[in-house]
Amino acid sequence: MKEFSADRLEKLLDTVLKPSRYTGGEMNAVAKPFDQAEITFAFCFPDSYEVGMSHLGIKILYDIINRQPWALCERVFTPWPDMADAMRAENLPLFSLESRTPLRNFDIVGFTLQYEMCYTNVLEMLDLSDIPLFSKDRTDGPIIMAGGPCAYNPEPLAPFVDVFQIGDGEEMMVEVIACMRACKKAGCSRLDTLRALAKIEGVYVPAFYKPSYNADGTLASFAPTDPAAPATVRRRVLLDLDSAAYPEAFVVPYTEAIHDRIVLEIMRGCTKGCRFCQAGMLYRPVRERSVETLLRQAEQLENATGYEEMSLSSLSSGDYTHLTELVCALTERYGERKISVSLPSMRIDSIVKQSLEEAQKVRKSGLTLAPEAGTQRMRDVINKGVTEEDLIRAVTDAFTSGWSTVKLYFMIGLPTETDEDLAGIGHLAQDVINAYFTVPRGMRAKGLRVTCSASTFVPKPFTPFQWQGQDDLPTIREKQAKLGDILRQVKGVNFNWHEPELSMLEATFARGDRRMGDVLYAAWKNGCRMDGWTEFLNYDGWMKAFEDCGIDPKFYANRERGEKELLPWDFIDAGVTRAFLWREWQRAQRGEVTPDCRKGCQGCGLKRFEGVCVDR
Amino acid sequence: MKMLVIFEKTDRVRHVGHLDLMRAMQRALRRSGVPIAFSKGFNPHLLLNFAAPLPVGTSGRREIMEVSLSEEISETEFKEKLRAALPPELPCVAVRAVDDRHPAPMALLFAASYQITIPEGAAPLLAAVPSFMAKDSIMALRKTKSGEKLTDIRPMIYDLQVTGDHQLSCTLALCEAATCKPELLLDALSAEAGLEARPRALCVRTQLLGRDFTPLELL
Repeated sequence: MKEFSADRLEKLLDTVLKPSRYTGGEMNAVAKPFDQAEITFAFCFPDSYEVGMSHLGIKILYDIINRQPWALCERVFTPWPDMADAMRAENLPLFSLESRTPLRNFDIVGFTLQYEMCYTNVLEMLDLSDIPLFSKDRTDGPIIMAGGPCAYNPEPLAPFVDVFQIGDGEEMMVEVIACMRACKKAGCSRLDTLRALAKIEGVYVPAFYKPSYNADGTLASFAPTDPAAPATVRRRVLLDLDSAAYPEAFVVPYTEAIHDRIVLEIMRGCTKGCRFCQAGMLYRPVRERSVETLLRQAEQLENATGYEEMSLSSLSSGDYTHLTELVCALTERYGERKISVSLPSMRIDSIVKQSLEEAQKVRKSGLTLAPEAGTQRMRDVINKGVTEEDLIRAVTDAFTSGWSTVKLYFMIGLPTETDEDLAGIGHLAQDVINAYFTVPRGMRAKGLRVTCSASTFVPKPFTPFQWQGQDDLPTIREKQAKLGDILRQVKGVNFNWHEPELSMLEATFARGDRRMGDVLYAAWKNGCRMDGWTEFLNYDGWMKAFEDCGIDPKFYANRERGEKELLPWDFIDAGVTRAFLWREWQRAQRGEVTPDCRKGCQGCGLKRFEGVCVDR
Repeated sequence: MKMLVIFEKTDRVRHVGHLDLMRAMQRALRRSGVPIAFSKGFNPHLLLNFAAPLPVGTSGRREIMEVSLSEEISETEFKEKLRAALPPELPCVAVRAVDDRHPAPMALLFAASYQITIPEGAAPLLAAVPSFMAKDSIMALRKTKSGEKLTDIRPMIYDLQVTGDHQLSCTLALCEAATCKPELLLDALSAEAGLEARPRALCVRTQLLGRDFTPLELL
């Protein structure tokens, strides 16, 4: 077993990139004695410090666990490969940032799964901790947990994780650690502890379920094998967001995180019903925080952090009922204190001109808009209820108010896409540029910058496109090349795209089953880690892993599923029903739009959860 | 008015670079609620001056920054407020109020004292100190903005002593006209000891000094 030593750590720190990723000691980091806590939780973000420290969920759960006087939560991030290699060479185990305790000394090691391409980092972090990777090989030591959006299809990680938490964590996390505390006090065995945890709503213990497969490789059955395990795992829904716990302080990093600012979560959920959007389906229904609560949280966080920037977070901030009131109050209060307020992920149909003007009083950041597709037909297929007029009105308003940097997000490889839809992206970009020049010279800011970013569509579980086959690599490459040609003819546009290989791998895991765990293990063995970083993506290592496991990635990524096929995540009740998603899939193929459910219930299934879905 | 803040950068955060340290201090000042002055201009920022940036990897026991204030405040109140707002790894040691005409700390800086710990392979280095200090001239390659430059660093070494089995203490020039970093001293000392490369060393800047080696915060 590797032992931690501060001296050996100091030695490594002098040789690695960005050592302050590993040294902690930040403002508002928790300082509780490790030995006195009854339950210790190592909160692991399977990516670098800078990425992990930008994430809101870790801040919320870190706060919630540490609010319990008997519990302690500390942070762990994936060491950059240079540090990971140095730690192996020096026999230094992975340790928490706060008390520098090796992970294997914690009661719980919990991972948040924000995107599929961090899965190798989960294995890397366990291995650096001397914790056996496979759940079946662990007889003692910490219980390995995971949550976050990717936990809605937990199966690819099922061989490695003991306990998944599915859904909103605010209440479930407290129940889970309280259950662990009771089990620890009672001296329960590992098996009995897992049985007790499996009874908590939202908890999934993969060891208590067994899949079987048809000859064609599809799933034949999936059923519990232990009486403690429910046949259907129902996702947890937090009913009252406004009174839910929210951190009064954020840990303030020394080294700059990707997003290093106050984040106010103004609402959770989205009712628009974009068919490609997993978050829009998973986080239903819409729950808002009141302006009063948000202003109180802003004040607490500003006093506790000293941040110079504040951002509003939600899936669709433009739809927040009191957006204008909130933005006005924030800019009035904080403008004088030189704190800027930014509004990310705005939908173009709801940008309130007044809000834009309020926001820019302090500082102007770039405007990001996501039309997602180039033609109205394509936008109807994906149910992105935005028209070209909406977009042009929004950018014209923005240009008039002094913005000159616009980023446009698109996806390629959407269901039913044709060349015409690609050409539409070029037309839209040209229209945005034209809109800039319609604003009189004196009124618009100088230096127009338009960036078009095209990502490859990845079909996700619990969306109407969960049955759709992803375009294969040659098709995507061809489409990227075509789009590149189209946009080269539009003067003044920058074009970005993503590696299609990464999107293909993401697609295999997004809809993978338990057998994908073998591929994951083989890929990690082949040296794959930090896959989300272009410089580390080892595509050959991945392809060899698929080959060695005898698994065809196309089966998971490119195959269209039928109406009757049992899907690996069907045992989870995520709120939206399979019937609703199938109906939406059929409507999508006919190009029929489905209105926002605020304008009338579309029967998505959330009404089954008592009290969550409020008719307006 | 301006406030001189004497603070420590502890060993744990020795890898925090100067720009990150500045940002941490700006945020601490914002949190503290002391009346800080902002620069004019499009992107207003706090008026903050450090005596001398600390290199990445070096900790500091009595570092100095100067904060411009928009209103009068007593030293006691300022210190109390700032203490509560600083991260545990950047504690405030002392403060001193000065008027606006007081020269910037950087302008008063002349030298700095360091404590250097060499965990492994210290013996030959420590043994070379007497002969090293007996020299009239020590030529060393100094990295400057315009490239490497052969410089006589002997006049920049005011003091060098063995203070423990693995430890050296020294006072080196640190001002605009001449600066000798501890690494440069260690390189030259390693050469004197006949070593191919300097051993790993942990440096702590213990005191910033003004003219006549008076502690900077007293000037």
